[in-house]
Amino acid sequence: MVAQNVAFWIFAAFMAAGAIRVVTTDNIVHAALWLVLVLAGGAAQFILLGQEFVAWVQVIVYIGAVIVLFLFGIMLTRAPMEAEEKLNNNLRWPGLAAALLFAGTLAWAFLDQWGSDKIKLTKPVRTKEIGDLVFRGYLVPFEVVGVLLLAALIGAVVMARKD
Amino acid sequence: VLLRAILRTQPKLVYQLSIAAAFVGLVTSGAFVGNEWRIIHRSGIFQTFSGAIAVDGMTVFVQAIVLIATALGVLLALGYLRREGLETPEYLVLLLLSATGMLVMAHANDLVLVFVALEVFSIALYILAAFDRRRAESQEAGLKYFVLGAFSSAIFLYGIALTYGATGSTSLTEIATQLGVVDPKAHTGLLVAGFALLIVGLGFKVSAAPFHMWTPDVYEGSPTPVTAFMASATKVAAFAAFLRIFAGAFAQASDDWRPAIYVLAVLSLLVGTIAAAIQSDVKRMLAYSSIAHAGYILIGLQVANAGSKRNELPGTAASLFYLLVYALMALGAFGVVQSINHRGETNHAITDYKQLSKRQPLLAALLTLFLLAQAGVPFTGGFIAKLSIFRSAVDAGQYQLAIAGMLAAVIGAFVYLRLVVTMYATGQDDDPDAANEPRIKLDVGSRIALTITASAIIVLGVLPNWFLDIAHQATQLLTR
Amino acid sequence: QHYFILGAILFTIGATGLLLRRNAIVMFMCVELMLNAVNLTFVTFAKALNDSAGQAAVFFTLIVAAAEVAVGLAIIVAIFRRRQGATADDIDLMKG
Repeated sequence: MVAQNVAFWIFAAFMAAGAIRVVTTDNIVHAALWLVLVLAGGAAQFILLGQEFVAWVQVIVYIGAVIVLFLFGIMLTRAPMEAEEKLNNNLRWPGLAAALLFAGTLAWAFLDQWGSDKIKLTKPVRTKEIGDLVFRGYLVPFEVVGVLLLAALIGAVVMARKD
Repeated sequence: VLLRAILRTQPKLVYQLSIAAAFVGLVTSGAFVGNEWRIIHRSGIFQTFSGAIAVDGMTVFVQAIVLIATALGVLLALGYLRREGLETPEYLVLLLLSATGMLVMAHANDLVLVFVALEVFSIALYILAAFDRRRAESQEAGLKYFVLGAFSSAIFLYGIALTYGATGSTSLTEIATQLGVVDPKAHTGLLVAGFALLIVGLGFKVSAAPFHMWTPDVYEGSPTPVTAFMASATKVAAFAAFLRIFAGAFAQASDDWRPAIYVLAVLSLLVGTIAAAIQSDVKRMLAYSSIAHAGYILIGLQVANAGSKRNELPGTAASLFYLLVYALMALGAFGVVQSINHRGETNHAITDYKQLSKRQPLLAALLTLFLLAQAGVPFTGGFIAKLSIFRSAVDAGQYQLAIAGMLAAVIGAFVYLRLVVTMYATGQDDDPDAANEPRIKLDVGSRIALTITASAIIVLGVLPNWFLDIAHQATQLLTR
Repeated sequence: QHYFILGAILFTIGATGLLLRRNAIVMFMCVELMLNAVNLTFVTFAKALNDSAGQAAVFFTLIVAAAEVAVGLAIIVAIFRRRQGATADDIDLMKG
């Protein structure tokens, strides 16, 4: 059990650091790369929790497609590669304060609900289980997601068309 | 599922073909909704797809409103697109796709499904808002709407995650039973946090007061028929989800979420009416008034089915009826605004509406009708809607809420009348060229749409009880 | 249970990032960050209640997020074709 905890803390540290860097770096490309770190940490956490399916989907979909899209976005908009001017607008410190407050309330809500009982890390969940759940229990959202992708497709085409 | 297949079979090749297909789609889905209503009456409510879909009175009522709004949206759009030279079938396809999303959302019984449906119609609307690529405002509106929409969906999703954690399931009926059973434990911080986030998420979508910043900019920026559709249909779908989630699933734990909605209602009323008063641009004024209307509906939600001691009209039925009337009013008002301004969305300022009555008497009369309806003048649907909302609020003992509502209505009336006066003012300086401005020829599409909305509002105003008891039945059949 | 807290912290970082940053793309990245945090919380809840409904939900959120990215970037890029600036300040033609 100890190994898992240690692993968890390492990944958690990576993710937190990555997230903070994403927010604070001036250079956009750096931000994208830090995001990759956060996502990779997330995938590792999923594996730790025994959910290979979600972990690998995350790795492929997110890190593979989403970040690449971001990089495209950055390229296309010819955003300056080197650090830009001061990126954060002036209301920086009140924002920080509000964030801490919000995080505090959420943390309290979690602790209050579950106290300190350790989550028993049972055997990893096999993908078959998720598969049949999706196609039996959640069939309708699956259909609707198809419609969603269609809408996104058309949307992207409409926006990208040379008028 | 067939419903969706029909809606999506729009060929994207020829524009006229897609108009025809759009109407075929609408008619067939309308027929579907019709026989859903008959089935319900005979066999009572049923849930298909293992609980994910709940077909009940409210679903059919909301779906009917969404379909009407979409049909009118399409009609309004035809003229506008021809004039702006954006003759592309994509517009219709996206419009229908967002309608599909709303239809699904109306009868979603599972939080995940609500989220996915919410995403479907918001993505379609992000694109529609940014449709007119030549005008910078339209793109900017699309961007603003997109960023805020993404933000609110993330919050909404986090709310789902929390409620899932607290209650152990995402399907609304199970949540309802779960809440009933394990009361002591369920009322922990997690559930309340879940509620709060859900309210924030939906609040953004419905542009209730504290989360309304995006509404004026996006309504003003995006092309007018899109605004018309957005103002009416999104509110209907979002409120359907609001009602289903809070009145349906979380009824037991209602003492948690009622005060929050109370604050939202009052805030939306105040912000909506006061901001509308100081506006100079008609479209922005209509945007702010839509926030005020969101406030009224929230009142109905706040007293949701609490006020049904005697078989009075419960809050939910009142808000459902209000949704119907509001959708019509919003579509009508924006329709007129759209036909008045010329290419490129230029003159929206109030001053351009001066002496409108001389130039286009018909349009001026129509706009006055819609504005009066929004103000809640008798003989229009608006009056009955506001009356039913206030009556349900009074039933439920929320007197302050009712008073706040009435106050806002009075201020609102002033705002609308101000515009009406400018239109009919026979100011001394009635500049000669105003008279001989070319009579704006109303193309066939928007003429039909405007006549339908106008007549519907008058019918709703004069003999509302038929609609009222449909709304009443709709709430009785709400799946518990 | 410290997973939750991690999820909460990530969510807040994403939210504040979104509010503070001016560059459209970075703001969008923060939204992705928030979605990730939500996924993490979803999975941990699923683990705690040891039924796998959570992962199914995560499965859908992933798809939705991917679709959103595609559309979002399309809009952002479309806007840039007209003007260079990417910061949110100069996109405020309609104030008031």
